[in-house]
Amino acid sequence: MHGFHATPVEASLFGVLAIASLLLAFVMLGSRWLRHYLIAFAAESWAIALLSAAVGYIDHYPELYVIALLTLAFRGTLLPYLLLRIIRRLTIERELEPLLRPGSSLVLGAGAVVFSLVVAARMTQALHLAAEVVVLALTVMLSMKLIGYLMLAVRHEAVSHVLGLLVLENGIFLGTQILVPGMPMLLELVILFDLLIVVVCFGVLVRYLVGQVGSTSALQLRRLVG
Amino acid sequence: MTVRDAILQACQVAFTIAAAPFIQGCIVQFEERIQRGHGPGVLQPYRDLWKLFHKDIVVPETASWLFWVTPVVAFTCMMTVPILIPVLTNYPLPLSNMGDILGGGLILTLGSFMITLAGLDTGSAYGGIGSSRAAVIGILAEPTLILVFVGITLFARSMLPFVVNHLLVASPAVYLGPAHLFLVAAFFILLTVETDRLPIHSSTHIEVYMIEEARVLEYAGPLHALLKWASMMKQFILYTIFCNVLTMPWFLSTRGLAPGVLGSAAGVIVKFVIVACAIVTVDTIQARLRFYRYQEPLAVSFLLAVLAIIGTQIGLG
Repeated sequence: MHGFHATPVEASLFGVLAIASLLLAFVMLGSRWLRHYLIAFAAESWAIALLSAAVGYIDHYPELYVIALLTLAFRGTLLPYLLLRIIRRLTIERELEPLLRPGSSLVLGAGAVVFSLVVAARMTQALHLAAEVVVLALTVMLSMKLIGYLMLAVRHEAVSHVLGLLVLENGIFLGTQILVPGMPMLLELVILFDLLIVVVCFGVLVRYLVGQVGSTSALQLRRLVG
Repeated sequence: MTVRDAILQACQVAFTIAAAPFIQGCIVQFEERIQRGHGPGVLQPYRDLWKLFHKDIVVPETASWLFWVTPVVAFTCMMTVPILIPVLTNYPLPLSNMGDILGGGLILTLGSFMITLAGLDTGSAYGGIGSSRAAVIGILAEPTLILVFVGITLFARSMLPFVVNHLLVASPAVYLGPAHLFLVAAFFILLTVETDRLPIHSSTHIEVYMIEEARVLEYAGPLHALLKWASMMKQFILYTIFCNVLTMPWFLSTRGLAPGVLGSAAGVIVKFVIVACAIVTVDTIQARLRFYRYQEPLAVSFLLAVLAIIGTQIGLG
């Protein structure tokens, strides 16, 4: 566990970057257009890459610079580009019948953050970790996961679903950057490759859905076919 | 010492009264420029006020005493708030202990409450529309404003604007902390709401689209001038809280000597013009929303305030 020896200004810097990425998750939760989700996701990945580089600089982990670059290249650029291509191929530009209005989902998301804060505070108490940065990282990680679940639950477009999954994964990645910055680089490479596979599979799935069902909305998928 | 402080306090109020139309003029001028117009010049609000003060008072037959009292009450409220906040000096002046941030908020709200009542008083259609819209938006904006104040209190351990100002100057860690930055973002949205620049109405001045302005459509002559001036002063006061307390707490007079006070007056003007440019840019580049989406910016502001409070609770001040 790290972040114990960060000075107040450095802790503030971690805090700003972590909460900025949480905020971008909220932008995804609150906007209506698929393209905006994508821009917010790319910006979130850039914030997380900056965070990795900052942790690497302050805690002296040179391999984190490489991870930051990989994050920029994959999460910040390649995945959004692939998703953009999928969105361009689709005819829809936004969720036509949202199950929950953006305003309501924002307030629900705020509730999720409060819940995460309580859980994170309890966890750090039980583990006897007093550092504020640890509580913050746990809070942001848990709330980004909950927001990802929320996006999976209240959205019904296939692209929103894959972005929900990616937000969930971004949250976990952000948490690990602050909590266990010495994580082997191999793991990170594996995860990035997994994400790439997920997005490519989704591209194929979306093509199939458009061809066979004529829609990518989960609302249309009601019949179970054996 | 005390005489000088009393004079300075009077100067704060006088400066607010005198400079508020100038800031409004800068905003309008910049808005025109950004839309590729020429603009009437930054001194136009002064000319408007001069013109209105030389007109006759026309009062609707349906108006009651409330219609007469409102402009005076609104103007007095806006003259009271500058006493409580650091406009020119970063230390408390005489009578500034009358109220804290919440007290200032109460007096500001009293002014708009009276204007809302006056809008309903004459029974005209547009006044009613304006008052009901302003009330609905106020209902959603006030809790957020209170949350912002609570957040400020939690990170500064005080509700006095001067303490917040000193803390932010002294400690860059607090200034860069997430709690403070999110409070700034939340307050920025509230600033657009309270100064009637929420991007939910048309920028053309048609009565159907008006929110705050529709409430004062029935006024004419000097009474209208007072209300206009009061709304410019409200804008000036909110800018003061945003700049001198939250975002740019520097360049204020620390000892109350004449050069320092003049310098801080010039600094205040520069800061406000920067904020005005930011607000006008946001106002212009953002697509207009239809009215029934007014909750969304306010929900975002609420969310930011909640995040800020969570930040203070984690202890990242």
